[in-house]
Amino acid sequence: MIIVKNLKRFYGTGANTVKALDGVTFEIKEGEIVAIMGASGSGKTTLLRILALLDDATEGVYTIQGLEVSSLPESERSYYRLTEVGYVFQDYALINEMSAAENVYVLSLMEGKSKKDSYETALEALAKVGLKDKHARIPDELSGGEKQRVAIARAIAKKPHILFADEPCANLDTTNSRQVLEVFKELNEKYGQTIVMVTHEPWHIEYVDRVITLKDGIIISDEREKTHPSS
Amino acid sequence: MINDIKVGALIAYCSIKRGNKKTLAFIVFVLSLIFLNLVFLPSMIGGLSGMFTGFMQDYPYGDIVIEPGGDNTYINNADNVLQIVRAVNGVRAATKRLDAAASIEHKQKVVGSTITGILPAEEYDISRYPYIISEGDFLGELSRDEIIIGAMLVEGYFGSEIYDNLGQVREGSLVDVTYSNGVKRTYKVKGIMEGTFEVVDLNALVHYKEIEDVYGLNGTEATRVVVRINKQGTEDIVKEKIISAGVKEPAFTWADKSDKILRQAMQSIGAINVMSKFVSLVVGAALILIIIYINVLNRKKEIGILKAVGITPGSIVLSYAFLSMFYVLMGIFVGLILYFTLMLYFQANPFRMYESIKIRPEIDYLFLIQNILTMLVLSVIAGILPAWMVSKESILKAIWGR
Ligand SMILES: Nc1ncnc2c1ncn2[C@@H]1O[C@H](COP(=O)(O)OP(=O)(O)OP(=O)(O)O)[C@@H](O)[C@H]1O
Ligand SMILES: [Mg+2]
Repeated sequence: MIIVKNLKRFYGTGANTVKALDGVTFEIKEGEIVAIMGASGSGKTTLLRILALLDDATEGVYTIQGLEVSSLPESERSYYRLTEVGYVFQDYALINEMSAAENVYVLSLMEGKSKKDSYETALEALAKVGLKDKHARIPDELSGGEKQRVAIARAIAKKPHILFADEPCANLDTTNSRQVLEVFKELNEKYGQTIVMVTHEPWHIEYVDRVITLKDGIIISDEREKTHPSS
Repeated sequence: MINDIKVGALIAYCSIKRGNKKTLAFIVFVLSLIFLNLVFLPSMIGGLSGMFTGFMQDYPYGDIVIEPGGDNTYINNADNVLQIVRAVNGVRAATKRLDAAASIEHKQKVVGSTITGILPAEEYDISRYPYIISEGDFLGELSRDEIIIGAMLVEGYFGSEIYDNLGQVREGSLVDVTYSNGVKRTYKVKGIMEGTFEVVDLNALVHYKEIEDVYGLNGTEATRVVVRINKQGTEDIVKEKIISAGVKEPAFTWADKSDKILRQAMQSIGAINVMSKFVSLVVGAALILIIIYINVLNRKKEIGILKAVGITPGSIVLSYAFLSMFYVLMGIFVGLILYFTLMLYFQANPFRMYESIKIRPEIDYLFLIQNILTMLVLSVIAGILPAWMVSKESILKAIWGR
């Protein structure tokens, strides 16, 4: 259960201040799939980063399962990012010196899994996004869409409680997009994962429970698209 | 912690394996030069001082020297001392010597010199004096009116132009000697000794009995008792044995003596050596730090990403410690190859000073190990410090630079 109250994020100071988020309030139930939409520059990435504890809000309250996470010390935030949260970056953010498998593998290793288990977990995740045969390639040897899928594999490999995805299908064709969205759906149904994803594509809506639309840092609409079987 | 080590090692391994090989080669090359710089000059200077101390043993002091105590000019019971010393376990040979200040004159040319009275037969086991006669012969037991002159006192010999000399002295020339007490003697030059060392080549040797006669001594005095031992390295032990065997006069090892002499004669070189070691170390440390720092800055984005996906700062910092340790180990390895190549070269082709002094660099393994450890410690600090600084930065700043 995510609760956000009057969340604000300003960049810069004085006359140059950009109000990327100007007071947003919402709740996300466990197991919900939420799409965040809005024009470019409306604050979607900013919001997602704060929710994933990659950034701090300027103002406002943010709790997960009743825990006020914005005030946690860095070491606990780090642990939380590792164990609870998966994040798919808009610009992939892969480690260039690691192969596709190693990019995924390093997280399982960090969690304390054995080398063998970690490797299997990584290959399994890569298989889900259709990249098993390219696991040994480094990012430079992959296309944009393939890199995006490695980034997705990294985020889903550990089956996080909450998955944040920033335009995960931006560089994918329809077939691959569908494959990724099916994976999300499956994770949600199997493990009850909460998924928050930023998207531009109207047709993605068929995979989500709810759409939050941002404009200039505020929520202009928050709609349940259809009745989900579990709710 | 164990996870941190595993992950740190994986990150370091990947960045070595897939990182730019040219950069790696360059870093290793620079580090190898830093290492070489740390160890090479001290080895040459070690060779220089090794040569000096070798001279100390071979000529004035032997392995252990016993000198008059307090204000005494002489060891008054030298024969007694000799008897005790020769009985000490580990002593190979011992002799007594008498030094006197004198001026030597040859065809209106006069030089001041130290004349040492020796027992010629005994010196064969003690010093190299008998073996460095480049013209004529060494003194014999009956050489009472004969003298050996140091090469720097003879025109035409190596180094003779540096100080006053006696002109064209040859084997058989006659020289007049005036001792410090005014007694004059005339000697026939029996030989000229050349040790390429001022303490030898500016001096002269006569028979022990001569000095005794001149100064009216009664047969048991000496200005020095020179001792050689069986096994190099046991000087201190043997010295202690000599003292506990009942010798009252102060005893010194060649090292005790060389230290004093080196402190004087090589003060400036020593200072240069210390300075250069210090500067090399500081420069080396700074370079290692800069190299690793640039490396870390280049990979700032990766550090941000790693942090963002939940890799602990501990593993990130460790990965840089591993990385820079790897660089430095490679650098040391290449540096050692360069070092030993240079050493082999200079052992075979020693540096020459004047014409005849050869300086061979000395390999001091303890010193090498010290420097290897120093570099490794520096590398860990140099790896940890910048990585720790960057890993403290906010994720957004590290990844996206703002
Ligand atoms: N570090 C920053 N410094 C200053 N302004 C920033 C910074 N990051 C984002 N902004 C501004 O904040 C606003 C929201 O940015 P954000 O990246 O959240 O938009 P977005 O909705 O994700 O856009 P897009 O769809 O293009 O990814 C934009 O006006 C952007 O220019
Ligand atoms: Mg965005």
